[in-house]
Amino acid sequence: MAEKEVRQIAIYGKGGIGKSTTTQNLTAGLTELGKKVFVVGCDPKADSTRLLLGGLHQKTTLDTLREKGENVELDDIMKIGFNGTKCVESGGPEPGVGCAGRGIITAVGLLEQLGAFTEELDYVFYDVLGDVVCGGFAMPIREGKAKEIYIVASGEMMSLYAANNISKGIQKYALKGGVRLGGIICNSRRVDREEDLLRAFAKELNTQLIYFVPRDNIVQHAEIRRKTVIEYNPESAQADEYRGLAKAIDENKMFTIPTPMTQERLEEILVEYGLMDDLKDDYRI
Amino acid sequence: MSDFIERSKFSCALGGALSTIAAIPKAVPIVHASGGCAAALSGTYNLSAGYRGVGYCGGNMIPTSNISQSHIVFGGESKLEGQIEATLKYLKGDIYIVVTGCQTEMIGDDAVGVAERYRDQNVIGVNTPGFLGTTLRGYDAVLSALVKNFIEKKEEKDPKTINLLGIVPGHDVFYRGNISHLKELLAKIGVKANTFFADGESVESIKQYGDASLTVVLSEAAGQITAKTFESVHKIPYVTTELPIGPKASERFLRLVAEKLGIDSALVDEVVAAETKYFYSYLERIVDVAADLDFQRYVVAITDSYYAYPLVDFVSEELGWIPHFVAINDLKDKDKQAAYTKKFENLTSKTKPAVIYEDKYGLVKKKLRASWPYNNNQKYYDALGPLYIIGSVVERNLATDYGAGFLTVAFPVSNRAVLNKGYAGFRGALSLVEDLLTNLVASR
Repeated sequence: MAEKEVRQIAIYGKGGIGKSTTTQNLTAGLTELGKKVFVVGCDPKADSTRLLLGGLHQKTTLDTLREKGENVELDDIMKIGFNGTKCVESGGPEPGVGCAGRGIITAVGLLEQLGAFTEELDYVFYDVLGDVVCGGFAMPIREGKAKEIYIVASGEMMSLYAANNISKGIQKYALKGGVRLGGIICNSRRVDREEDLLRAFAKELNTQLIYFVPRDNIVQHAEIRRKTVIEYNPESAQADEYRGLAKAIDENKMFTIPTPMTQERLEEILVEYGLMDDLKDDYRI
Repeated sequence: MSDFIERSKFSCALGGALSTIAAIPKAVPIVHASGGCAAALSGTYNLSAGYRGVGYCGGNMIPTSNISQSHIVFGGESKLEGQIEATLKYLKGDIYIVVTGCQTEMIGDDAVGVAERYRDQNVIGVNTPGFLGTTLRGYDAVLSALVKNFIEKKEEKDPKTINLLGIVPGHDVFYRGNISHLKELLAKIGVKANTFFADGESVESIKQYGDASLTVVLSEAAGQITAKTFESVHKIPYVTTELPIGPKASERFLRLVAEKLGIDSALVDEVVAAETKYFYSYLERIVDVAADLDFQRYVVAITDSYYAYPLVDFVSEELGWIPHFVAINDLKDKDKQAAYTKKFENLTSKTKPAVIYEDKYGLVKKKLRASWPYNNNQKYYDALGPLYIIGSVVERNLATDYGAGFLTVAFPVSNRAVLNKGYAGFRGALSLVEDLLTNLVASR
């Protein structure tokens, strides 16, 4: 039997687009399929595992490293969450001081050193802060780590702009290593013709719209209760959507090197799909 | 092929800052960087600048915040704060200068802001990350900060006081002697020179530099930024000239300063006549032997721009040597290079030197070889020689290859011990003649 390979996946996207929410709900879906998942939060805010753990992770890797020096053990920083999900938060400095990018490098390096990426895992998710602002935030896609990337986006222009920018970073690493773009996950903001726009955008980027997650207030309700939707209300339609996303990712075979577009081309696509004549002067949401 | 560094003759901006601070009387540097930066850079300018020593508080004594990974991630300002407080407690100094390394600048620590909190205890901060530039940039960063934040503003200027810049401590291995010669020479025409580093200077005297009427910069590559800061903050105009070596250059230097300050030219005539007489009274003693033993040489100068023209000008104009080849390692700007090359047209020598801008030893060596026809087994072959190479210790093997006379003047100089020797002015030039010719008679 061929040796099982752990699928290491990095999730990127514009800040506030719903990366952490999507990642955790997706993780919950995967665990229902019997998959063993490890979520690594790569955001100084340390809120990437809140829904899986039922509250904020109290011991971030960098805080622990600062307190205990080099004698950190895996149990000190790894917590077990919903359905046996392993959760780690890299943590980082307060806004405006220090170097969060270096923090990610240090934290991921330490996880490797501690043997956190064991073979029984099926998935490792790196949930990375907003735009890839410096080399540190590209750490999860450097050689030997995440091979797959999904970008969370919506039909809003700045979200697509960020997704295109992130693709430039992915392209750079893809050309010299094995990292590939697995697709765009749309976290809907109910923008006009959002799905069509995202499909066109994905096609231009030489990738796919892997799943369209509709907007539903139940996500907010679950978040307030520190739960994923699947845990909060397994019977809901939105829980099924996340199961659908989990299935799509589990079965995904399309991995490409993205072809980022120029700003002009991006705007052309937006005009084509985003502005419709019959909605002229109608700004109702 | 990508660019590379070959036998570098500079350190980084932090190195220049430390070398500069080491020359300021009773100044204490506080380095905000990882461990190793301070000691390594201080060591460079201790050992390779004629064994100048570490100054008041250099070498292993330099206080450093010694930041580690956790400070990089979470910020190192509190570590610097602790280091400043400990330094103030245990090390007596007249001024404390916080300087920064690459790491803390990359993560955006506000070291200058932290230093500012201790301003009432004579602490100032300067951004000197290594990547800012070479040694020369660090020199300018430290002096500019002093000019801006430490030197008192004075409305009334002293018409006979100048600020002298461009002599970079350590990078000019002979900085003490050069400053001393020029200070004495200027005093003879009634001009007081503020130099930051001369014997007898103090932090208190540096504070008063705002009363100068003119800044004279002796380098195209160092001191320019500081001179501009003097101009903008203290309304002191500046002029750029060369390091004067020998009677002709020193006369030009004195006349320039006298003209700018409105000093009576009769006084300058008198001083120039006396000093010239003194110079030739010594030089003439060696003229016979120099002629009989045929001491004339083809000259190759491989130095920075601060030394290249002044040295070539002196050996060409005063010793009658033939300027053949000049390699300059610090001017990168094409316009500055063109202007600098033009200076060599002023030489009265019929043979003008080839002037190149190159900092890599191997390429300089290659271009020097290409400056002379190859031996193609012709009946008569006129080899390049006799040659004299004036450079740094890096060129030692090159001189051996050519069987050339050799003198180290430019940094690095690790084959000589230098205390207060200098080559500037009328009297310093006599020392230069001694050293040049000593090399030629050393084996006798």
